[in-house]
This record gives sequence, C-alpha cells and structure tokens, in this order.
Amino acid sequence: MIVCVAVVGHQNNPLYIQSFTEADDALKLHHIVHCSLDVVDERVNNPKKSGPTLNETFLGLLYPTENYKVYGYLTNTKVKFILVTTDLDVRDADVRNFFRRFHSAYVDAVSNPFHVPGKKITSRTFAERVSNIVKSFGLSSTG
Amino acid sequence: MVDPVNTPLGRMLLDEITPVVMVLRTNLVEETCQKNGLSLIQMLSPFCAFDNIDVPVRTASDQPYRLQKFKLRLFYASDIRQPDVEVAKERVKEVITHAGEENFSNLCSDPPQIETVLTTSQSELIPSWFPFFNKELVRTVSFSDHEAFDHPVACLLVVSSKDEEPINRFVDLFNSDQLPSLLSDGAMDPKILKYYLLLHDNQDGTSEKTTKFLTEMRSTFGSNDCGLLCVNSSQDGLVEHQENPWALYRTESSPNHRLGCFLNIDDMDELQNVMQDLSSKHIIPHMEQKIRVLNQQVSATRRGFRNQIKNLWWRKGKEDTPDTQNGPMYTFSSIESQIRVLGDYAFMLRDYELALSNYRLLSTDYKIDKVWKRYAGVQEMMGLTYFMLDQSSKDAEYCMENAFNTYLAQKANILSVMNGLDEQEVEGGLCEEDVKLGSSGQRIATRCGLWWVEMLKTRDQFKEAATVYFRISGEEPLHSAVMLEQASYCYLFAKPPMLRKYGFHLVLSGDLYKKCDQMKHAIRTYRGALTVFKGTKWSHIRDHVHFHIGKWYAFLGMFDVAINHILEVLACGHQSKTTQELFLRDFFQIVQKTGKTFEVSMLQLPVIDIPSLKVVFEDHRTYASSEAVGVKESLWRSLEEDIMPSLPTIRSNWLEPRAKLLSKKLKESNVCVAGEAIKVEIGFKNPLQIPISISSVSLICEHSARSDEIEVDPNSTTTENQNDDQFRKLATSGECSSEMSSFTVSEVDISLGGGETLLAQLTVTPRLEGTLKIVGVRWKLSGSVAGFFDFNSDLVKKKVAKKRRKTTQPTTDNLEFLVIKTLPKLEGCIRHLPKTVYAGDLRHLDLVLRNPFETSVKSIKMKINHPRFLSIGNQEVMDMEFPACLEKMNSAESDARVKTNSTSDTVFLFPEDALIHGETPFVWPLWLRAATHGNISLYITIYYEMGDTSTVMRYRVLRMHYNLEVLPSLDLSFQISHCPSRLQEFLVRMDVVNRTSSKSFQVHQLSSVGNKWEISLLQPIDSIFPSELLLAGQALSCFFKLKNGRNSVIDKDEDSSISTLEGSDIRLSCSSNEPLFDIYRSPLVDFHHYERVHQGTAQVDYFLAISFENPNTVDFILISRPQRSEGDSEQPNNLFSHHALLRIQAQYGG
Repeated sequence: MIVCVAVVGHQNNPLYIQSFTEADDALKLHHIVHCSLDVVDERVNNPKKSGPTLNETFLGLLYPTENYKVYGYLTNTKVKFILVTTDLDVRDADVRNFFRRFHSAYVDAVSNPFHVPGKKITSRTFAERVSNIVKSFGLSSTG
Repeated sequence: MVDPVNTPLGRMLLDEITPVVMVLRTNLVEETCQKNGLSLIQMLSPFCAFDNIDVPVRTASDQPYRLQKFKLRLFYASDIRQPDVEVAKERVKEVITHAGEENFSNLCSDPPQIETVLTTSQSELIPSWFPFFNKELVRTVSFSDHEAFDHPVACLLVVSSKDEEPINRFVDLFNSDQLPSLLSDGAMDPKILKYYLLLHDNQDGTSEKTTKFLTEMRSTFGSNDCGLLCVNSSQDGLVEHQENPWALYRTESSPNHRLGCFLNIDDMDELQNVMQDLSSKHIIPHMEQKIRVLNQQVSATRRGFRNQIKNLWWRKGKEDTPDTQNGPMYTFSSIESQIRVLGDYAFMLRDYELALSNYRLLSTDYKIDKVWKRYAGVQEMMGLTYFMLDQSSKDAEYCMENAFNTYLAQKANILSVMNGLDEQEVEGGLCEEDVKLGSSGQRIATRCGLWWVEMLKTRDQFKEAATVYFRISGEEPLHSAVMLEQASYCYLFAKPPMLRKYGFHLVLSGDLYKKCDQMKHAIRTYRGALTVFKGTKWSHIRDHVHFHIGKWYAFLGMFDVAINHILEVLACGHQSKTTQELFLRDFFQIVQKTGKTFEVSMLQLPVIDIPSLKVVFEDHRTYASSEAVGVKESLWRSLEEDIMPSLPTIRSNWLEPRAKLLSKKLKESNVCVAGEAIKVEIGFKNPLQIPISISSVSLICEHSARSDEIEVDPNSTTTENQNDDQFRKLATSGECSSEMSSFTVSEVDISLGGGETLLAQLTVTPRLEGTLKIVGVRWKLSGSVAGFFDFNSDLVKKKVAKKRRKTTQPTTDNLEFLVIKTLPKLEGCIRHLPKTVYAGDLRHLDLVLRNPFETSVKSIKMKINHPRFLSIGNQEVMDMEFPACLEKMNSAESDARVKTNSTSDTVFLFPEDALIHGETPFVWPLWLRAATHGNISLYITIYYEMGDTSTVMRYRVLRMHYNLEVLPSLDLSFQISHCPSRLQEFLVRMDVVNRTSSKSFQVHQLSSVGNKWEISLLQPIDSIFPSELLLAGQALSCFFKLKNGRNSVIDKDEDSSISTLEGSDIRLSCSSNEPLFDIYRSPLVDFHHYERVHQGTAQVDYFLAISFENPNTVDFILISRPQRSEGDSEQPNNLFSHHALLRIQAQYGG
C-alpha cells in the first residue's frame, strides 16, 4: 500500500505531500520524505554510481527504512516526486508506471494558469487524480 | 593513511585490549591507601600505562621486536566477573545525566546557523562525553567467558607490613573463595602468574620489620616474584601535585580532597618502578613464554594436513552429541580455548600476524561447532586485527559486520527459543536467564558495533558509520538515544553532509532522551535539529521541533526561552485545528506559569495586515462622516477649487506668525489639531481556525514638545540607531504614557473567529502641541500576552509609502504629525436626508452646522457637486410650511420669485454675519430633488475661516458625503405634433407611466415654463382620468393643446375654471380646491434651471445654442404628489416634479 506521495520543488521545498493512512503519522512521513531528499541529492550529485541511468528520471529505491520503502523520481525541472510504500516486494515496473502517471498529473496541475510556480499545489483535481493513481497502484500486477 | 595505532580506534584498542591483572589485597593495605583518598588500584593505575617501556620481545617464530607502549588493567578479584546489568545501566545513565547537566549551561543562547555548524570542526561539535560514554558501554560487557583478553594474565597479591604474619596472609589471599568464577569454573587456567608485593606505610616508622618480612617472602615465594612498595613518605600530607595523576578519581562528593597528599616524589618514583618492573620483568616475559608454549601445542595438534583431516573427522563425530543450550563448554584445556588465548595474547603483544592466523583457525572451528557467540567474538577480533594490520579494509569490515550480525542473530535465536519455551510453559527461571543472555548478546553487539563504527569513521565512511550507529540502537531507549545522536553527527560529517538525515536523527534521538526524562539532552538535540529546519518550508516538522523545545524548556522552568520557541509556532494556520488548539493551550499554560503578562514584540498572533493600514487625520480638511473620508482626495480638490484660497497664498497666510519655525516641519509632516482624534484603521487577521480574543488594542505613540523635535531633527541618524530600544521602551511603558496626557489613545477589544480578518479602528487624540508620532500598535492576546507591532520596521515603511493617500508631500513617514493649537471645527450634517427616494421627489432638508468651540468661524462658503439634486434654499424658507410655501399666491409675491438665486456659479456664500460658535446649531435649508434614478453620490464641501486670525491655520474645510439611491417613479414622455388646422397650435400627447412597484401617485398639475406658451386640456380631466390616482404600473395618456401665447394672447381658454393668469398651468386633479404650485418659486425654478443646464451639457452641440426663450422649445413640469397611505402619516409632505424639455419640430421655420 502506498502510504505517502510527495512533490518537492527544486529548492527542496514541499509542494504537495499527502498521506494515505488512517493513523496520525503525518509528522513521521514528512520526516521520511524530507530525509529521502538527502539521498536524492546524493544520487544526483554522484552520477558515477548510476552510470548507465544518467538520463533516467526514475531514481529507484532511495532507501529502505524499517517499515517503508521510499522511491524517488526527478523531473527535468528538478522537481522531485517521492513515493513511500509499505509493500516490501514492489515491482520496479509498477513504480515506474506510477511515477509516469503521477508526472503527467503534476504537469497538468502546474499548467493551470492560476498555479503559481514554486507554491504549494492546492488543486483539488490534482489531489483526486493522485488518489486515483495511488488506488490503482500495483493492481496491474496482481489483477 | 594514518598508522592505525594512532587512530581513535587504535588508541581505544590499545587501551581496552590489554592484559588484566587481578589484584588481591588485605584490608590494611586498603587502609594505607585510603589515607590518600585512594584505593589501591586507583593509586597504582596511573603507573600502569607505559608510553616508552622498551621491552624486547620475540615472536613465536623468534622474530625480535620491541614493545614501546604497554598498559596493564588492574582489577580486584571481586570485580573480575561480568558486571551486573542493572548496575552497569545505572552507571551509564549517570554518565549521561551528568553530561546533560554540564553541557546545558550554553543552551540558552540562540541555536547556531547551519553554515557555522558545517564549518565547525568535529571535535568542537561532538559532545566530549561521547567517547567516555562509549567506553562505559564497552565495559559493561567485559569479562565475558567467550573471549580471553579479559582473563587475568597475572595476579598481584598485596599485603601490608602491618599485617600479622604476612606470609600466611599471602597464601590465604589466593586460597580464599573470593576468586572469580573464571578461575573456578575452568574457563581459564587457575595456574596464573603471581606477584607478591609488600606494602609499607612510611608513616608507621622504620622498615626494619618490613625488610625482615621481605626476606621471608623471598625465601617462601621465590626472590623474583616478590617486591616491596613503600608509600606515604610525606609526613604532613601536604603534597601538592602539579599534575595530579589521580585527578580522574576526584569524586563529586569531596572535590577539595587532595588526592595522593601523602605521596611525595619518591613514592611516585617507587610506584612507577614497581609497576614497570611488574610489566617488563614478569608479565610481558610470561605472556611471551605462554605464546610460545601454546603456539607449539596448536601447531602440534592443529596445523598441518594430517591434523586438518583429523580435525574434520573428529569434529564430524562430535556433531552426533547433542549440544547444550550454549554450545559445548570449552574448558581452558580444550584446544579451542588455547587457540583463543594464544590469539588474544598475541594481539596484546601486538603480534597481529600470529593473532590473525589463530583467530582464522578458531573461527572455522566454532563455525562448525555452531557456537555462534564465540564465533562472533573471534570474528570481531579478526576484524580488529585486520584493522591494526592496516591491511584489507574490506576484510576488516566484513568481519565486523559478520560478528555484529551473529551477535544479534544469537540474541534473536534465544528469543525465538524462549518464545517456543513459553508455549510449553516451562518455569520462568530459565526464561529469565535466557533473556539475560539475549540482552547480553545485544550489549556485545553494541560493543562490536562501536568498534566497527570507529573503524568506518577512521576511513571517513561516515554514512556507513551512521547506519551502524542506527543499528546499534536497540531496545534500551537511553542508549539508543545516544547512538542516534552519534549517528546524526556522522551524517553531518559525511561528504557531502546529509543535513536532513542529521536533523531527522537528532529528532529521533531527542524523542528517546525525552522518553528517558533526559530533558536537557532532548533540548540539546532538538536545538541541533532546529538549525536544519529553521530556514526551510517544512513547517510541519519545524513546528513540531519548536513546540517541543518550548515545552521542554517550560518543564525545566525556563519560561522565557520556552515562550520564544512556542511563539514561533503560534501562527500555524497550516496545522490541523486540534494541533492549533494544542499549541495555543500549551502556550497559555506556559505564559500562566510565568505569572506575569508576557511581552512580545512582533507577536505572530494575530497577524497585522499592513497593507490595510490607513491613517485618517484632519488638518484643514475635516470630515463629517467616515464615508466622506473614503472619497478620493482629487474629487474633493476639484470640488474645492473655487472656494479655497490658492496654495501659495495659504502658506504665506498661515505661516506668517511662525514661518521660520514651522516651514520645514510643515513640509515634512502632517498637521493635526490638538484635541482632534487621528484615526488609524488596521486589519487584524487570525490565521488559525480557532477563535482568539484580543483586548486592549491601542496605538503606541510618541509625543515630543516642538522645541525638542527641532533639535533632534538634524541628527536624525542617532534616533534611528536607538530605534529598537526606544520602541521597546515605548511599548512597555504604554500604560503610563497615556497618563502623561500629552495624548490619549483609545482601546478596542475584538474577537476574531477562525480565519477572520477584522479592521480595528484605533484613535489617538493629541492633547498638547508638538510632534506626535504613531510608532506601532499594541494588544493583548487572551488577556495574558502583550504583543507589539512596530510600524517603523523596514517592511512597513515600504508598504506605507505605497499606501499613502492624503499628504501632498512625498515624505515616507506619514505617521508623524505636527500637532497645532486647538482650532474651531465645524461639525455638520443634513437632517432628514433619506437614503432612498423616488425620482422626482422634491423635499425640504436642513443643513445643520455646529461649532462646539467658543471661537467663531466666519466666511462660510459651500459647494455641492450635484446642484441638480441638491440646492441651497433661502433663509426665509426655514419658517414656512412645505409644500404650502410653493402654492400660488396673489401677484404681490411675484417679486419674491424674481429674486431667486439663479447664479450659475454653484458656490454659495453664506451671509457675512453668520458666525457659528458655542452649542447653538446653525441651520440652513436645502432642497433635494431626485432628478434621475440611479445611485447618486452627493459631495458637499463647506469652507470656513477662523474668527481668530492669529492661528496657524486660517481656514478649514468641512467635507460631507452622502449616498442617495433614487428609484424610478413616473415615466414621462411627450409627443408634439402640429395641429392640422391651426398654424400656431400644437397637439401634445403626454404619456405617464408609473414605474414603481407599489407606490401610487396623484398627478397634480402640468405647467409649461415661460410665458410664451399656453396649454390647455383637450378634454376635461374627469372624463379621461377619473380615479386621480396613478397606481403602480399604471399608465395615463392625456392630450393637450399648446398655443403660442405670444401670438394669441387674447385667445380664450377652453377650461374657464382655471385662472388664466399665465395660461401655462393645468390642474390635473379633480378636486379643484387644491391650489396650484408656482413653478417660478425658488426650488422649482432653480431645479428647472439646473435641469436645463444638465440637458445642455448632455447635448452640447444642439442645445447650447438655444436660449431660454427659444421659440422652438417648450418645457413642461409635471407636479404630482404621492398618495398618502393611512399607515405612515409621518411621511413628509413632499412633491414630485418631473421636468421635460422638448423641442418642437419646426415645420414652418428654418
């Protein structure tokens, strides 16, 4: 299950962060997302480790915490997407697919002329779309 | 790379993995030592570490080398056992608490910036007690039976020369039951090296007896293994040690006790000699010897092809025997134990090659035997040996990780076994023991991890080190807290620094500290985290950190700092409602605990909406109402153009008396009059979802007498510098400043709902002449926290400058006012002015002017922007009844209407003798006629001059503004056509439609203006319009005959009942007794005039040319009256007049 998705701006400021859990763990998820930015930075600044995937937007598994797996995605405008999931065996293809859909949702949201770049995304349509994407995550593989 | 010996880990290993000497002593020995405030071990310890011992040693393969550094660890026999877990825990906790207290003093300052943190060196940043703590933690697992380096290498027996029969004492000491279990249970060889030391206290007199004892000892135990130690040579006990070697043992309880006060320099030398002798002549050779022996044994049994095969076979056979819980017991005589001892001894004598080969050998054995703890222990040592050899770092790390995981897995195994046992309901005793074993596994893993971490740190692999720290943190929350904190520093020192992880781990660590009631540590870590989160937009996290720091400070009673932190989170509009409530509630609780009203500059709650700041003051411009204030200044200016003296003349006029003094100030600042309030409107916004109440909202002002101000003016820079302090002072002294009576401020209480913004109206009324400056605003939040806001901060200045709307001078600080002497000020209003009227409504209003001052005002002039709607009446009208005064009288009145004010100039001059002063109101009639429907703004400006010409300000202006809504009423239209039969006659068709929704009108009369035209009805009114009333929505059409009166003056009228004085009025009502109205009387004719003017302006091209008497035009005025319903008798007697200006199609003319 996806517990949290986040959009982080190019100055590492949170643009959108949404958890999909019942529990009151917003703070924890904020921390996890925030920390994973360190890893994103590291990946981006040391491309030699990820040599062949230099132009790849998908950053892969950022780091496994005790209970979560965190995946990252970096757009060409240096906006980061973070995915936190509790699933322990996630197929890479699923995650890629998720990020692709998420990216297009994001692009649509920021293309709104009333959206101020660099400000939080408050669009309800975006939120709805994201929650749909989250709901459908992993269904293709199981069903 | 650095020599591994000089790395922190190397030093740590040389410190910790050294030969242990078991010390046995009699009570008298201890007594002698206690004279110095030391125990025997404490007294000896400083002399057990040798930096330059220079002992020649040979390896097992006869390679000579020299040992330089060496250290002995001394332990009492009773201490040589695994330390009690609880005691150890207690001690570690003490270390932490103590460190917390010590480091707390500098925590009240602001946390450092992240940049400074990054440039600070490691040693400065990392708390100095970490290594100490780590050492304590490592020591909690000493004397484990699975490793040999903690096994005593030698035994030091000490007997005092005062003891009876010292020889027997020596024997007794070793044979007592107090020996450690290691020796008794066969884990180690009970035959260890013994050294007999006789302690002589020089204070007890001569050493004759002692020498005798010594010889006796030598003969009994062998001359080599005996020694004499004489101490306490100083008689007076006043020896001061420059560098006290025992400083380490200074206890908190007696910090002034002089340790080693009886030990003079000779004693110190002797101590050193004895210990060096023991090390170099006994322990090292003994170990060397033992290594040699063991090596031979191991070679004989284990090395070589034959032995390996044999070993394999033998081991295999062993598998069949069932293992006990902790694997097979290895006694000291087993080959495994011997290999281990060999390895450890070699390690301690720094023959790492030998050690490594033996560890390798042993590790395969243990692995086959599945004794995981021992296996892990050997792996651990292998890792360390690799490190000391500075060979393959990969191998070293692999070994450490392997050891670490094995230790932890062992713990997990035991736990799983335990769970299994639980199901079978085995008695609790066994379980408990297993738990102990499990936790010991954890603790050994911790030690192993700490070494591993150091290894990684030495190689600058901080990120990996942090992960290991993270893994060390186990169930014990306090230990975990320290580990997590150490992990966080690793992230900080990683290249590049991982600041977010640094912050996160500090927060984690802080939470654990808090759980263990280590408040001060918790605050310390959170503060560290704050440096990371401070500038970011991750407000969720930042709020959490601030809030908790605040709460913890409050817990410690440091309310000031606590409040400063919680203030940061007060304006947390982004948080959920419950969180906001929590923040606010805790904040108020803390404030309450301080027991005073807390004062905060720049309090975030409520948010001051600076763009909404609006200052309204009255200089020569005064306003009758707040609506008048809102009108654009340019509008007033255009209205006042004609009546005000032009600007340069004003200056010369009202600056005359004090021109020099005032000119400069007047240009720079706004002028206001003492006694007249300056209104400031400012928005307060509640960012929260919960309602807040703020009380005592008032302005902070600064008043200075004029003379001061002029002195200050040239060096205004100095005031700038003091600004902050001044503001602070002003803000706090707010209460008393109002008593100074140089000005008074109003106080307002407002309560703001969630997310609400309210505009607060604040006033300050200067009382004395001078300069008044509005500095800021002050308020009280929920009655307990006083907030201040300084308008002078840079941000504000910028915005205020943009917002300026009243002053002509382009100065930036329009919050400064020049207060001048009290002046008369007119107050005015229009009585009976309705808000809503119907079009055509004509009524009588009163303009009431009042001047509360005794000084009179004169030369009153008035101007109205819409004379079409509002016209100024004559004084006489005051006493007359309306509309009766308009009724047609006899011709004697006719000259009155000639006099009517038909000036095109709209400025009205009140009579010269009109002086207004005192409480008597001055009333003047006004006429209102709603000319057209729509929303109409009426602007009235009244100019007046001061009766007293000596004042600075000679004239003032009163501005009044009213909004009037005019609803459509009767719609009037005319059609004129030529009478087919007569040239000079026209047929007029009048259509009247009642557009109102409910009102009925009684059409009263139709008049044509001018004496040129004669008008008459075609049919009697009764026949065409019997009902008289024009109901809502109803329409009426009438036909008239219009005759050019000039040509046919003597034509007789069709309706003989109408007076034919002018022949221009037609009564349209049936009741003939009602008088007709004279359209040439004042308001009607005036309004008609303005109507013409208006039409003229509307159709400039055509009508401007037409004179009043143009033969081709005809003007009609329809007068109607509203039907009076029974309900509202209060309704004023009003008329409706509708004017129509028509052009007759000239059929005959041009």
